[in-house]
Amino acid sequence: MKVAILQMEGTNCEEESYMAFKEIGAEPEYLHLNLLRPGMLEDYDMLFIPGGFSSGDYVRAGAIFAARLKAKAWNELRKFVEAEKPVMGVCNGFQVLIELGLLPGTDGISDVPEAALATNESNRFECRWVHLKKERDSIFSANVPDRIVLPVAHAEGRFIASPRVIEEMEAQRQVVFRYIAPDGSKPDYPWNPNGSINDIAAVVNSYGNVFGIMPHPERAFFWYQHPDWTRIPRNRGDGYYVFESLMRIIEAKNR
Amino acid sequence: MKLRKITDGVYEVSILNATEEELEEINETMGLALSIEEMKKMQEFFREMGREPTDLEIHAIAQGWSEHCSYKSSKPVLRKYIFGIPSEHAMIVMQDDAGVVEFDDEYAYVFKIESHNHPSAVEPYGGAATGVGGIIRDVLNMGAKPMALVDPLFFAPPNYDGKLNPGIKHPRFLLNGVVAGIRDYGNRVGIPTVAGMTYFHEDYVNNILVNAGCLGVVRKDKIVRSMVDAPGIKLVMVGGRTGRDGIHGVNFASKVLSEKSEEEKQAVQLGNPILKEPLIHVVLEANDMGIVYGMKDLGGGGLGSVVGEMCHAGGVGAEVHLDRVLLKEPNMAPWEIWVSESQERMLLAVKEENLPALEKLCKKWDVEMSVIGESISERRLRIYWHGEKILDMPLEFITAGVEYDRPFKIKKVERVQELPPEPKYHNVFLRILSDFNVASKEWIIRQYDHEVQGRTVIKPMQGIIGFESHGDASIIKPVHSSWKGIAITTVANPHIAKLDPYMGALYTVDEAVRNLVAVGARPSSLSDGLNFGNPEREEIMGEFVESCRGLGDAARVLGTPYVSGNVSFYNEAFGKNIPPTVVLMAVGIIDDIRAAVSSDFKRDGNHIYLVGSTAPDMGGSVYYRVLGAKSTVVPEVNINKTKELSEKLLKAMSRGLVRACHDISHGGLAVALAEMSMGGDVGAEIDVGAMQHMRSDFKLFSESPTRWICEVSPEHGEEFASLTGAVRIGTVSGDSLRIRDGARWLFNVSVEKMRTVWRGALRAHLG
Repeated sequence: MKVAILQMEGTNCEEESYMAFKEIGAEPEYLHLNLLRPGMLEDYDMLFIPGGFSSGDYVRAGAIFAARLKAKAWNELRKFVEAEKPVMGVCNGFQVLIELGLLPGTDGISDVPEAALATNESNRFECRWVHLKKERDSIFSANVPDRIVLPVAHAEGRFIASPRVIEEMEAQRQVVFRYIAPDGSKPDYPWNPNGSINDIAAVVNSYGNVFGIMPHPERAFFWYQHPDWTRIPRNRGDGYYVFESLMRIIEAKNR
Repeated sequence: MKLRKITDGVYEVSILNATEEELEEINETMGLALSIEEMKKMQEFFREMGREPTDLEIHAIAQGWSEHCSYKSSKPVLRKYIFGIPSEHAMIVMQDDAGVVEFDDEYAYVFKIESHNHPSAVEPYGGAATGVGGIIRDVLNMGAKPMALVDPLFFAPPNYDGKLNPGIKHPRFLLNGVVAGIRDYGNRVGIPTVAGMTYFHEDYVNNILVNAGCLGVVRKDKIVRSMVDAPGIKLVMVGGRTGRDGIHGVNFASKVLSEKSEEEKQAVQLGNPILKEPLIHVVLEANDMGIVYGMKDLGGGGLGSVVGEMCHAGGVGAEVHLDRVLLKEPNMAPWEIWVSESQERMLLAVKEENLPALEKLCKKWDVEMSVIGESISERRLRIYWHGEKILDMPLEFITAGVEYDRPFKIKKVERVQELPPEPKYHNVFLRILSDFNVASKEWIIRQYDHEVQGRTVIKPMQGIIGFESHGDASIIKPVHSSWKGIAITTVANPHIAKLDPYMGALYTVDEAVRNLVAVGARPSSLSDGLNFGNPEREEIMGEFVESCRGLGDAARVLGTPYVSGNVSFYNEAFGKNIPPTVVLMAVGIIDDIRAAVSSDFKRDGNHIYLVGSTAPDMGGSVYYRVLGAKSTVVPEVNINKTKELSEKLLKAMSRGLVRACHDISHGGLAVALAEMSMGGDVGAEIDVGAMQHMRSDFKLFSESPTRWICEVSPEHGEEFASLTGAVRIGTVSGDSLRIRDGARWLFNVSVEKMRTVWRGALRAHLG
């Protein structure tokens, strides 16, 4: 599986993402937007947009990354999505996918963003671990246990959309992960770290191939990246299973 | 002041025949911050040359001679105590911009701590941000990948209600601005902030301290030196453009603050992390390709310092064409270009044949570069402006600077300790938990991304997710294929140092060791951030000398050298000086991170041990401050014991006997136990009767050095105690912290209650 990890100034989670793909046996490659040429995308089996602060998030998180990507390769990107190849964005990458109109993608690709990742209710950047509940299987979650923990690190992660969009998303079961309290009850702050509507942490589009997630699975790939490994033994980090799901499914498809 | 125009933007300044008053006027008008003796030395130099200097030449000299660049007041003392502590592993010590120490056969770690105090006092957001930016470049220019940031901060209490001097901003405003600056810079540039401290003392009301440290890792064969040692090497500026921001930053840093400081905002640079981030890629990729001959970042002193120091270190000279420097704004005078401290700039020395490769890299990352000159064999500096020579001086004269053996006075401390009546334990314990120097710093810590890069395996907050409390040190795992880890901590104790700078320094080193050992790491090396008042005052210089003596004595015994550091003087305003503030960034090595230990209690029924002995020396303690009781009897450090006990504890840890460990510091035993309970969300029953005989309150709240609390499973208790000489003081159990001294109960507070008080105290004054 050849994975393009997109880079531009300010993306800063590419190395741990690269490492995660490498570890599960995929072939990741860094692809800087400045080096992106026509026809390049189709060489890849998957597109990954890492977290960070692309262009400093100075306009709005992910807005400049999306605009530059659109200007460079919008038609190719559309084709990529329509060919149902996987596209995944983490944190800032999720913000980019929303800005592009690829998510929530209740009806494929939208011309304008139909949701937003707004400023956290706490009104500040926060780095903390959260509990997540898996809501459905997808190529990004099939092998993920029902309950996992992952770290969040963002200032703009509050998923919001119009009631209509939320309703459609829920009806189509597009929510892949929700924040949850440790005892399984509905989360208040800080268990829902940003105030997302319906505690939404990760979504997939209606085709099931574009996935955006606010928490960072690539930072929880190994057991020793968990904050409580001195208390709870694990064989792997919870984020591992996201990448493993992808690999299994792509492999099966290519077989 | 008499000027003669030479060319656009360049003037000749008449100093040869200037009187003392006229020299003073030149000093003032040009903003040089030199002493009259130094002005005279400069005059003498040009008299010998037989010509008047250009304004650029005067600025270049003033920059080179500033306290910030030349360490003129501190160097003789540092040489005596701090430099040259023997070490097996240190590779580059106190030479380049950051120290380099062996990590394993293949890799070295690179680190340094530095102050950014004056700018942050005037412009907290920008000052703090550029402090972070500057320290990253110091590590980067050794060719290392920056992997961790730390940020020790010092303010007056955020609820300060005293009178503020003109131009001085309220500590709460400053704290919020500084935290935001560090957050926005560090997070954007993608380097985790893994450690730090926020410390409160009323004496920082006029002068806050913002120190920032960075650690990186480099393959040993890829270490880059900050020098050029051959002629004909091209000097290339890479990164940001040069502007008028940050002009005279170093001169500014070498003065005391006053109400006029606000007008000197121009001395504060503007940071741009989104320029820095690709710059890091360019530099590291260029280094991987082997095309970087030498490298140095443009920090304090700007281009002037960097060209001078790089060439001086390598025994060559330089020729620079200032008109080739890329500018943010037109019409900058050559002297402004030479001294500007605009951020995000690096100077690379590159062989001519490698220029095309560098150009290609810069293009990929949208980073600008320009070739501004080259090294020459003659050890002179020559600067040209549109073809005209406007500076021509021996490099030695500018760069070697001046040095002073400043007079100092060591104050005698009379040892007195009041003995207050025994308190109501429950109340005083909660008051200590809510003391700003004890209370939770979570609100600050969580605004910094400590997870980015995925290497942080022991986090700054430790325990059950959502219930974490303070840890002692963080650990990063820098090399994917190795289990070896690097532990990082920062420490300072100005309250003790104010009473006794020598013992304060020993105590600070001891605490650094305690913190590293608490997570299972062996202390390896140190970087010293020395923040002091005005060195022209004998008692301040005395504090400096005593602190350095203490640092030297401690480190020599431990075998942990100071490999990098920084001195910040002139932290004085309105006649008041800061307490002597020795900040250490300490690094330890853990051979296998799987053996690391965190501070949170793990399991009901495990036994609790106290390692080390307790003395009733209450000077500088949180307890006495809370009571308002006086003591000048500071805790006594026996550094040989520090070494001996930490070796024993490390041995116990390597045998897997320790389930949790926390050092005892601010607030004493009771606070350490509380933090371990809160992190593990489980209580403990404690009997301090087994400790040496003394008052119960001293047992609970003494801040005696070289002590740890360890959680050990019952079956390992005997082995642990015989290895470390520890005494058992209790059991992990229940949902409250219950402490008695023999038959007498002292207090019983629920974990929930402790958490509410501890979390809420500082939080109520932030944001």
